[in-house]
Amino acid sequence: MTTIAHPAVLGEQEAPAAHALAATVDRRIRLFNRCCAGILIALALIWLVPLAWAVDTALKPNAETTKITWWIDNPTFDSFRAIIRDTDILNWYASSFITSAISAFGTVVTGSLAAYALSRMRFRLRGVVFWFILIGIMIPQQVLIVPLFRELDSVNLLNTYWSVALPQIPLAIAVFIFKQFFDGLPRELDEAARMDGASFFRTYRRVVMPLCRPVVSAVAIFTFVWSWNNLLWPLLAMTNPKLMTIPVGLATVQGTYGIRYADTMASAILGALPLVLVFLLFQRRIVEGIAGTGLKG
Amino acid sequence: MASTTEAVDRIRPAPVPGPARPGRPESHGRSAALFLAPFVVLYVLFIIGPALYGLVMSFFDTSMVKPGLRSFAGFDNYAEALGSSDFWHSLWHTIWFTILTTPPLVVLALVFAILAERVPRGRWFFRLAFFLPYVLPSAVVALIWLFLYTPALGLAGKIVTSVGLTEPNWLGDQNWAMVSLAITTVWWTLGFNFVLYLAGLQEIPRELYEASAIDGAGPWQQIRRVTIPLLGRTTALVVVLQIIASLKVFDQMYIMTDGGPNFSTRSVLQYIYDVGFTSYRTGYAAAASTLFFLVVLAISAVWLMLTRRQSLGWAAKAGGEG
Amino acid sequence: MTAHGPHRSTDSAPHLTRRGLLRAAFAGAGFAALAGCSTPVGAGLANTRLDPGTVDYWNLFGGGDGVRMQQMEDGYRKAHPDTKLQAVTLSWGDPYYTKLSLATVGGKPPNVAVSHLTRMKTLVQAGLLQELHPDDLARHGMTPDKFNQRAWQASLVDGKIYAIPIDTHPFVLFYNTDVCEKAGLLDSNGQLVPIVGEEAFADALTKVKQVTGAYGATHGINADSASCWRLFQTFYSQLEGEVLAENGTEIVLDDAKAKRVLDYLRSLTVEKGLIPVSDYQGAIALFADGKAGFHLNGEWEITTFQTAKMPFSMTLVPNVFGGPHAVQADSHTLVLPVLPGQDHAQLDLSLGFVKSMLDQSDVWAAGGHVPAWQPYASSDAYRQLNPQHSYAAAADTAVYDPPGWYSGSGSVFETIMGSAVGGVESGQFSPDVAIAQIRSKLSVLAKTAPPV
Repeated sequence: MTTIAHPAVLGEQEAPAAHALAATVDRRIRLFNRCCAGILIALALIWLVPLAWAVDTALKPNAETTKITWWIDNPTFDSFRAIIRDTDILNWYASSFITSAISAFGTVVTGSLAAYALSRMRFRLRGVVFWFILIGIMIPQQVLIVPLFRELDSVNLLNTYWSVALPQIPLAIAVFIFKQFFDGLPRELDEAARMDGASFFRTYRRVVMPLCRPVVSAVAIFTFVWSWNNLLWPLLAMTNPKLMTIPVGLATVQGTYGIRYADTMASAILGALPLVLVFLLFQRRIVEGIAGTGLKG
Repeated sequence: MASTTEAVDRIRPAPVPGPARPGRPESHGRSAALFLAPFVVLYVLFIIGPALYGLVMSFFDTSMVKPGLRSFAGFDNYAEALGSSDFWHSLWHTIWFTILTTPPLVVLALVFAILAERVPRGRWFFRLAFFLPYVLPSAVVALIWLFLYTPALGLAGKIVTSVGLTEPNWLGDQNWAMVSLAITTVWWTLGFNFVLYLAGLQEIPRELYEASAIDGAGPWQQIRRVTIPLLGRTTALVVVLQIIASLKVFDQMYIMTDGGPNFSTRSVLQYIYDVGFTSYRTGYAAAASTLFFLVVLAISAVWLMLTRRQSLGWAAKAGGEG
Repeated sequence: MTAHGPHRSTDSAPHLTRRGLLRAAFAGAGFAALAGCSTPVGAGLANTRLDPGTVDYWNLFGGGDGVRMQQMEDGYRKAHPDTKLQAVTLSWGDPYYTKLSLATVGGKPPNVAVSHLTRMKTLVQAGLLQELHPDDLARHGMTPDKFNQRAWQASLVDGKIYAIPIDTHPFVLFYNTDVCEKAGLLDSNGQLVPIVGEEAFADALTKVKQVTGAYGATHGINADSASCWRLFQTFYSQLEGEVLAENGTEIVLDDAKAKRVLDYLRSLTVEKGLIPVSDYQGAIALFADGKAGFHLNGEWEITTFQTAKMPFSMTLVPNVFGGPHAVQADSHTLVLPVLPGQDHAQLDLSLGFVKSMLDQSDVWAAGGHVPAWQPYASSDAYRQLNPQHSYAAAADTAVYDPPGWYSGSGSVFETIMGSAVGGVESGQFSPDVAIAQIRSKLSVLAKTAPPV
């Protein structure tokens, strides 16, 4: 690697030499970047193989799946039709959709309301409540599965959508995300509205929340996706195949397929479809959400 | 922003001497209670309540199929868990899983992000390729990889044999099963760290790169001297988040190997599931859950310490202001 | 690309955005899904009964058994076109019983479910099964005398009926007729001459090994605690040994007898090399390929070997230890989980389904199982079913797993016993070490307060 003279020395020579220097450096950087691009494209293609293979297999007739090749002699949608017809996957869609929607909606509403109180209101127990909710971040749902089961069993709520959705609504982290956002909004807005007689709720609904759309959508999407993909708790709460969510259904009824690999892959693809759509529609929000929350630390 | 004043204008009624006047701090207790109620009620019902109930249950021989707390067991459940080789084995399996997955998930994500940062166009394609698996439910990932790992019929085996090696018994060999699960997990969750790192890379000021370029640093040296050190904070975060997530692993084992072969891939959560719901011993499972919680708590404390500046800021705002 | 701030105006002026359109489509799809499956949604929201007037049936049969069970389910549908039958197959073993228990505790179990006889008792003690009253059963033509008595008696709990046995599935001896003929082990009818005694059995295996040039017999050893347990239990019971008593709270393992069996097994595998160390599928493959003349397994693998088109037959496991003949077995039974709000009509539907399964015992027996339903078992049709009929007597000498909350098919008890036996057979440790391991692991379970 050639050494480059100190800029002070170069300064006398001005434009032409500096230009040549920049050109060499540019070329080196560009070559390096092109290598990076090549490697990255190869890696990305490798990463896509499992999903692509699943789709490819799902389009094969069951008999062809023993041949390990990308080429399909008789492409068909039969497996998809069989899964929709013979399994409860439509019921699973409904169950996942209902429970995740309730969870997402509930988390956004309860979380933002609580955060608004913590951010904007003065009351004696504010610090206590704050730390009380903070504990919640440390308690993962997985640790609570045993007592939650007994608790919901005792009120006969097991095997209802509520048993899955309700425990997922109080998300402490959502409160803090909203609170952080509210804290960043200028207080003058609220105070102006309050001075003119608006109640807290009015201010919350008409002034503050409309400004929160990015946060609301981020929290809503995250809760929706997390709730959709949750396996352990719904596995315990929903044990009738008609009421299961997609992850639970796919995990439970795998015994039926046996060596019908095309059918199995079709069920996997169908199970993945809703969230893939969500991702494709909202990927910017999702990515920003992760980046934002993650880096706030 | 113009829109906000419009918003305020729209709801502003005709000026009237209102009751709320700043100047004298007053308590908004009642309003606060109403606003906090929905969250706090659900929170107590489904988080704090069960946590306390679980703690109480762990001191009894509670059964999944019988009502009530049943007979008092004192610390017996805890003693049994601490003395149970099955419990410690499941803990070890979880730790082994964490060891197998954390380095690849951190290092590979960093490498991929550094590569991606140098390729400004087509970023959407890389984000799609690496992050798409992350949004898939674990059951979908498991079904796909179960097929990939099928002996003689799976793509994984074909790839290995095509370079002349013998296909390992991916999920049936005690020595390979956890490795296979780790490979699946890396494929599944790398995208999350990738995105975190990519965002962290954006935060590094351009000037630092320019300065180092002037000092004669080639791209490789820039990465070593500028990028990696400045990603220290992000890396710490990624590592801690990764470890906490790995401790809670359940789905892959449950679906792909059911804790086998011969329990060699059974994680702590699956052990709790087995003793609590297969063997019906919910009291004992609650004790094991509490012990597990303490482990997670210890690591989460590390996370809190890493972000303590932020959390102290929260505390200051809550306690100090207005 | 930065992460600060929103990308478009956030005022609420209505205009058709891509996002708005897609949100509407999403919601629309959601409502369509809701409308299309109204009953589960109603049940899921309001905790009402799911699908009244249908029969929900769970089983754990995959592979060949699964195919036959589907045949029988179709038979029911043809005979009862007005009733909807919804059958679900779940993975064999603990996962099945866990899900069944969770569903019953959660108030929405299936109407009818399969249960191994040995696991059924724990379900009864857990309060998860309905008691079946003799009048209801008689109304559907199921009276105690119509069942294999050993299975029927074994399935009673405190004299009460909770399960209807449909078969007994014992451990049997498969033999390659070609190989055994060359080894001189067949009689004039082409049937295996009965083998009695340890020496005789080892002899037979040696002769067969000389013919095949590889092995005498195979059975699953590696990662197959179930097969190891079954073989051990068969021989151990021939010595009249028992393992557990008092519902699993006492260990009554006879060390001397256990050691005798383990020493014998070790001699066949490690010392004389008559039985190779292979896993379940490997053992099947070796026998199917003719590399071994004998195969010890459950009768359910009959379809595998029929499909492989190899010359084979089946018979009772030899009485190696010379006492009363005994063989490890379990029975499949049909049970009715506790269903809140079940009315008389639903009960009749469920029992009608059970009867239909019994009526199709011929299909089930073709899969190798010994039918418990006597009207078929004592019929000419079954008598002529070969090779199934040759081991039908096993149903009367069947030894079930000892009762206990942690015992039964696919349970941790079988895993503990089987892995110890497997360790001896594969030469990993000695019989003494195995017995010590069994005692230490079982004593932990025996001391634990039973959750039922």
